[in-house]
Amino acid sequence: MEKAPASRLEPFFVFLLLVLGLVICVISWGYGFGSLRQPGPGLYPFFVGMAIAVFSLFILISELRSGTREPVLDKEGAGTLALMTLTFCLWILAMPRLGYVVVSLLATYAFCKIMKLEGWRKPLAVSVGTALFIYALFDYWLYIDLPRGILE
Amino acid sequence: MEGLGLLYSGFVNSLTTVNLVACFIGALVGTLVGVLPGLGPTATMVLMLPFTLPYGPTTGLIMMTGVWYGAMYGGSTTSVLVNIPGEAASVVTCIDGYQMSRKGRAGAALALVAIGSFVAGTIGILGLQLFAPVLGNAALSFGPPEFLCFMILAFVLLSNLSAEAPLKGALMIALGLFLSTIGITPMDSYPRFTFGSEQLMLGIDFVPIAVGLFGISEILNVAIEKYVKPVVRKVRLKELYPNRDEMRRSVAPMLRGSALGFFVGLLPGPSTVISTFVAYAFEKRISKTPERFGHGAVEGVVAPESANNSAVMGSMVPLLTLGIPFAAPSAIMLAGLRMHNVEPGPMLFVTNPDVFWTFIAAMYIGNLMLLVLNLPLVGAFARIAMIRPQILLPVISLICLVGVYSVRNSLFDVWVMIAAGVGGYFLRKWKYPIAPFIIGVVLGPTTENSLRQTLLMFKGDVSLVAGRPLSVALLALAAAFLAYRVMAPLLGKKPALKVDEGKLL
Repeated sequence: MEKAPASRLEPFFVFLLLVLGLVICVISWGYGFGSLRQPGPGLYPFFVGMAIAVFSLFILISELRSGTREPVLDKEGAGTLALMTLTFCLWILAMPRLGYVVVSLLATYAFCKIMKLEGWRKPLAVSVGTALFIYALFDYWLYIDLPRGILE
Repeated sequence: MEGLGLLYSGFVNSLTTVNLVACFIGALVGTLVGVLPGLGPTATMVLMLPFTLPYGPTTGLIMMTGVWYGAMYGGSTTSVLVNIPGEAASVVTCIDGYQMSRKGRAGAALALVAIGSFVAGTIGILGLQLFAPVLGNAALSFGPPEFLCFMILAFVLLSNLSAEAPLKGALMIALGLFLSTIGITPMDSYPRFTFGSEQLMLGIDFVPIAVGLFGISEILNVAIEKYVKPVVRKVRLKELYPNRDEMRRSVAPMLRGSALGFFVGLLPGPSTVISTFVAYAFEKRISKTPERFGHGAVEGVVAPESANNSAVMGSMVPLLTLGIPFAAPSAIMLAGLRMHNVEPGPMLFVTNPDVFWTFIAAMYIGNLMLLVLNLPLVGAFARIAMIRPQILLPVISLICLVGVYSVRNSLFDVWVMIAAGVGGYFLRKWKYPIAPFIIGVVLGPTTENSLRQTLLMFKGDVSLVAGRPLSVALLALAAAFLAYRVMAPLLGKKPALKVDEGKLL
């Protein structure tokens, strides 16, 4: 199976954490370190940032020393991940305008198709069922006022 | 005698319609979660948090423990029938459970697992009932230095027991602690890491982080994996009767597993999972016929399943007595209790003893409910396990999206959940443990308060810790454990346990 070129992703992620740790230290210093007798708001996050930087550094060294890594995803998996994430994001962007019932129906249909549920009848049945269930749960049982959008 | 009186009033309080319904819903949902892939007990507990808010802390606690408990029961069903563990604490059950199933003893295995879980649950509750008030009273003498040292010990143990690489566990704790610093400081109302954002002023809410890390990341994981339709063996009601030999061989492992599980549950880390490995290894070691293990030995099914149930109760001890969660589900419970303005810890037994005793009573009832639910409905649960993820996951995804949005009517929280979900997917693949992160988030404010109060109390002179014997003992324990971890490889000793982190959720 064809693998996506993701093998350097983990060391890069750890490197970002190392930078994050250092940035936390710098920002915390700006908040006021205080003293041990009278600790300021920056003291605790400074130590936490230092811990993140030190642990990341050790992990990064060990990652770089270790040989080749198994890629996390093949191309098909990467595609599924991207489409799933995109659907989640579109739900967030469209929900205030279209309302949670309509968007939930559309998103469920999209999720079903991304996960390769065959035909259109089953995905439609799952989508309608999910939208109705969500509506009944939040509107009727929990009385939570959620944006209804075009169904207002 | 006072304990019995309090327990009696606990039973009176728990036998309300709301509490019984909460107990039933928790147990049922937990069993389903244990059977189905896509949502573990931790994510389910987070999603159920908002639903418990109108009903008070005790009801919330009962429902969430029911989920955790039920998942332990339900997880074994698919282990025995399909050879797929419904959740991490049932991995070991597959070894002999599925072999029993192949020999036509699936019904007996499931019946013994249900009985074993019931016995273990009862022993666990009894242990909690006996230990928690005593430890709670002892913990009343804890000051900020003791809490700080206890937290240091917990973090050391947690980072070492949760991951194959302890540094990854430690890094995750530190990241969790950092996340908890975002927002207004609790002691001097100073905004940190907010960058002028009003959303960040309130801090990052716990619910979207937990749902993202435990729910969305698992959804992505199952969606990306290739689905293989399981073959489920049918179980008839008459097959549920274990024979005399199976009964005889199960009694002692049931009791040993229960006792072991409870004590392993007291440790930080994925104790329910570890307890199953420990119980299985122990039974195999003391068995006169260890060669039967792996070929359908009933002891190898009953002992781990008993252990994981009593471990749930064991892990409630540090949560209720010290307010320190040692596992991800108990971290969720802590967050839930705080949402209800109840702070678990030594003062719980003074300020809210009714919460504790009602919870204990409800657990006895819940345990019985689970037994009644699981024995006759085992066939139905097995059929539910056949539902394809393509149908299940879209529904769960939508519940996560709408559920997280509904907590604070905040789209920002949904963004946080998605980011945590995608991040969590990669973290799991790279074997970074999630539980220490979430425990770091929950314990962050307490850790900071303890540190700052200790420094203020000692006027900056940290050497004064030496004058507090309990603090010194806790720090010495942490140091001894670290020294052992460093020295063990040099002395040629193998690590005690290796647990697949990907299955710890």
